[in-house]
Amino acid sequence: MMPNFEYVRPTTVAEVLTRLAAGGARLHAGGSDLLGCLREGILVPSSVVSLSGVAELRGIGELAGGELRIGATTTLTEIASHPLVRQRYPGLAQAALLVASPQLRNQGTLGGNLCQKPRCWYYRGSFQCARKGGDTCYAYAGENQYHCLFGGETCYYVHPSDLAPALVALEATAHILGRGGRRVVPLEQFFLLPGQDFQHETVLEHDEILAEVVLPAPRPGAAGVYRKVRERGCWDFALVGVAVWLARSAGVVEQVRIVLTGVAATPWRARAAERLLLGRKLDAALAARAGVAASEGAHPLAHNAYKVPMLRGLVEEALRSLA
Amino acid sequence: MKAGGRSPAREGVSEVAANGAREGHAAAWGTTTVVGAAVPRVDGWERVTGTAVYPLDLQLPGMLYAAVLRCPHAHARVQRIDTSRAEGMPGVRAVLTGASPGADVPWFPQRGKGPLSKLFDPHCRYAGEEVAAVAATTVFQAREALAAIAVEYEVLPFVAEMEQALLPGAPSIHEGGNRQNETLRYQRGDVAKGFSEADAVVELSFQTACEIHTPMEVHGSVARWEGDTLTVWDTTQGVFAVRDALASALGLPLANVRVICPYMGGGFGSKLGLNKHTVIAALLARATARPVKLFLSREETFLCVGNRPPTRLTIKAGAKKDGTLVALEMKALGTGGAYPYLPTSGYLVADLYTCPNVAVEQDNVFINAGPGRPFRAPGYPPCSWALEQTIDALAEKLGMDPVELRLKNVPVVSQQRGGVPYTSTGLADCLRRGAEAFSWQAARGRARGKGHLRRGVGVAAGMWGYDGEPRATAFVSLFADGSAILNTGASDIGTGTKTVLAQVVAEELGIAPESVRIEHADTGTTQYAPASGGSQTVVANAPAVRAAAQEVRRELLEMAAAELGRPQTELRLAGGAVVTPEGTVHPFGSLKALVARQPLVGVGRRHPHPEGKAALPFVAQFAEVEVNTRTGEVRVLRMLGAQDSGRVMNQLTFENQVFGGIVMGVGFALTEARVVDRQTGTVVNANWHDYKIPTMKDCPPELTCLPVDPQDRECNTVGAKGLGEPATIPTAAAIANAVYHAVGIRVTTTPASPVQMAALLERHRQEG
Repeated sequence: MMPNFEYVRPTTVAEVLTRLAAGGARLHAGGSDLLGCLREGILVPSSVVSLSGVAELRGIGELAGGELRIGATTTLTEIASHPLVRQRYPGLAQAALLVASPQLRNQGTLGGNLCQKPRCWYYRGSFQCARKGGDTCYAYAGENQYHCLFGGETCYYVHPSDLAPALVALEATAHILGRGGRRVVPLEQFFLLPGQDFQHETVLEHDEILAEVVLPAPRPGAAGVYRKVRERGCWDFALVGVAVWLARSAGVVEQVRIVLTGVAATPWRARAAERLLLGRKLDAALAARAGVAASEGAHPLAHNAYKVPMLRGLVEEALRSLA
Repeated sequence: MKAGGRSPAREGVSEVAANGAREGHAAAWGTTTVVGAAVPRVDGWERVTGTAVYPLDLQLPGMLYAAVLRCPHAHARVQRIDTSRAEGMPGVRAVLTGASPGADVPWFPQRGKGPLSKLFDPHCRYAGEEVAAVAATTVFQAREALAAIAVEYEVLPFVAEMEQALLPGAPSIHEGGNRQNETLRYQRGDVAKGFSEADAVVELSFQTACEIHTPMEVHGSVARWEGDTLTVWDTTQGVFAVRDALASALGLPLANVRVICPYMGGGFGSKLGLNKHTVIAALLARATARPVKLFLSREETFLCVGNRPPTRLTIKAGAKKDGTLVALEMKALGTGGAYPYLPTSGYLVADLYTCPNVAVEQDNVFINAGPGRPFRAPGYPPCSWALEQTIDALAEKLGMDPVELRLKNVPVVSQQRGGVPYTSTGLADCLRRGAEAFSWQAARGRARGKGHLRRGVGVAAGMWGYDGEPRATAFVSLFADGSAILNTGASDIGTGTKTVLAQVVAEELGIAPESVRIEHADTGTTQYAPASGGSQTVVANAPAVRAAAQEVRRELLEMAAAELGRPQTELRLAGGAVVTPEGTVHPFGSLKALVARQPLVGVGRRHPHPEGKAALPFVAQFAEVEVNTRTGEVRVLRMLGAQDSGRVMNQLTFENQVFGGIVMGVGFALTEARVVDRQTGTVVNANWHDYKIPTMKDCPPELTCLPVDPQDRECNTVGAKGLGEPATIPTAAAIANAVYHAVGIRVTTTPASPVQMAALLERHRQEG
């Protein structure tokens, strides 16, 4: 049963921030995650603040320095189909196109995708788990086939966003508005592991809003790709997903970022794999070694060890596609 | 999707008038004109425009809404229920518990013993069992009131997995322990002797996951009393089955219970019988003197209205060098959850292939989980998953082509039924023609790929062992303007029953199918039909409808012959008119006697099954898959279903059934599994997101339906055999065999999702 709440639809960010500051408020962008959270009692807000009337939060545009700004309420469909995104950041366009289903992409937004609540069937179900104030993590000793390999600590959910790894691979920044003004956080630092903060998934304070994400101007010769494995062809989160961005000079890898999703409570940098690639020419053999390196530090639970060979294979495949 | 093997509708005029009746019922059709054609759904328009009123859509004046409080524990005993707070909540009109008047209703009756349970049994045997119910002005008020009912539970230890059910010290789910029944055995010949004579023997063990039906339209009913007469709109596959059980539960005469289901949004077997929520709606409607609507939430459909139970199967098969099967043995462990239900069937093992020595042993246990129910071909897909993979392994051991091995052992009699012959068996044709249309030889010999994407092809055969209920009645009324009413109790559960039956009427009366209005699935106003399940709907009803139409036809021809002064045998019916051999057209409306006496009414009854014969459908399906050896992803690239279901009554509905069956089989093979938390015994994926029904993107991009019609003139008077179930039986096994062909890994557990495949491929690499 969904609790009653006040529903408001402001037209300016300032009004949104006032509402948030009053407490008990939750934001409504596309609503695809919010609706489930309300229905499952994950969120019990006294007011729901619609962002649909706040025009400045929406849209994609190039900035003076060649950066690309994507407003938080821009839909996934808009991201996936935008010419500048497709041309300059193909990995991001691919990631956006692989989210959920066409209907959900029409509805779901960038901000909602990045700020979605943990994906764990105990947390989402009627279990009084540790994250919801109970005294046990049911996933740890239970049905944890979809849970994390990295960074688990008293809570073992995964952040299953497809956009987040693609954006982190591109070194995007999160622009956060609060009553104190704007702060800019590298997107990689936007997400929090349970060990960093047990109650919050992101660095957002309760009276702040993710306003936009900014991508650095594209580097000539750089290439990116996103690939995910899921159990069915549509409307499914990644079991494992990987975003790769790399820049080469004369065939030698100069910069690379490999970011996994579905394996940790945050987008997960495969740094050992990145180190292996730097200064080398990417070929099939190196791609395979990088795949193995990407799994360094994995701590499988009882039922998710399959993710180790899966992420190795996926990283290898993504790298080979760029070789 | 492309449709292969289409034959144009049979040309020419019905031969029935010339043949006339034989032995009390009609001769089989020869050629037909309307039957067999690609006639679009007669109710397609209202279904796709939303004007069709499904039970879920029904709104009655003054109607209340109800909701059910369910036990959250896998195993518990209700000690005390306090409904006082709920009763005082806004909008609440009635609260029902086991102590309420009329609510002490027995459930799960047993032969010669007391019932296993009751409507509100204080002993709750699975998470989701009914504890209490509320009727209120709105559904939100009803659900809020549920939260205000205070229940004291004694939480009991539970059994979550079938392997634990019979362990010493396991908690007893029913008095007398967790064994559902004594070991069920079937035996013929001597398997030990058979295996000793075999040149090759293989033995494999399999597991199949529990699948949930969770149809588009959730389960539910609307109940309304008028005096002591109860009308129920129930989303059901069988209005008569629900009526009988509901009348019995409430102690009402059959005549006082009317069950109606004009449209149904999916059932797949889970809507074949009476549900507790229907009785609860009726009791609440009586208590409040208002109509009551009670529909389950999506989550509830995962818990308490059935499933395809999980199984553990071991199959051993032995054959001679030339492929002659000499012994087959199956040992099965299964659980229908907390109440009796047979999880698997040994039918395929006993009858799909000629084999002199067969032994089947089934043990079924109780666990604390939601009860099983028929699920499209109940028991067969799990058995097929095991048997058809074992046959595949046997073919490899013998060095034989899997199609050849199957062809070597095609039966012409039902061994299980003591050797009675089949009215027809198209199994060999399904295999041969299917292989040809699939380019099996070429695909089998093609390179499987050297990179990480490996291709393979596989085959599996099947049959369906139920002939259907030989009992149905239909009325046909013909008006002088050429329109007709067909009155039948049959439910159209989305398969096109109404369309096919309209075609039967049209065929006999020489009118267009769209001229036939259909009254159906209403126990108060329409004639008896068995529930639409078991692949029996057309098989049971079409002959009755045909007999009714023929009665009208005979009367019409008599009238026309007298009025036109021509012998009946010269006249034919076409375009709503009587046509003479010279081509003179006499519209029905021009026949004075018909205008005076209209409507002509025919009553038709289903004839008995042919004596001493079995009339059963057969199938062979072929799959091509691509396996990504890096990630474990399996894509089904194409599938072909070669189906002997006798006459194709309608090309479109036939293809729909086959494609739908294959897609459902893809779900069984690759994506679907109920997941129960071992710590609490509760379902963790009771929703459409976490329980993964295949999407359009998971459908094989190339799907071919190849009807193999053996021209059976004995099975019944329309020549059709069942289709809905055989279309899904071998799909998963064909896919698994294709995966084996592609990567050399025998996937014995469903589903073959990337979760499982990534692990299997890794082990395969490590073991070299």
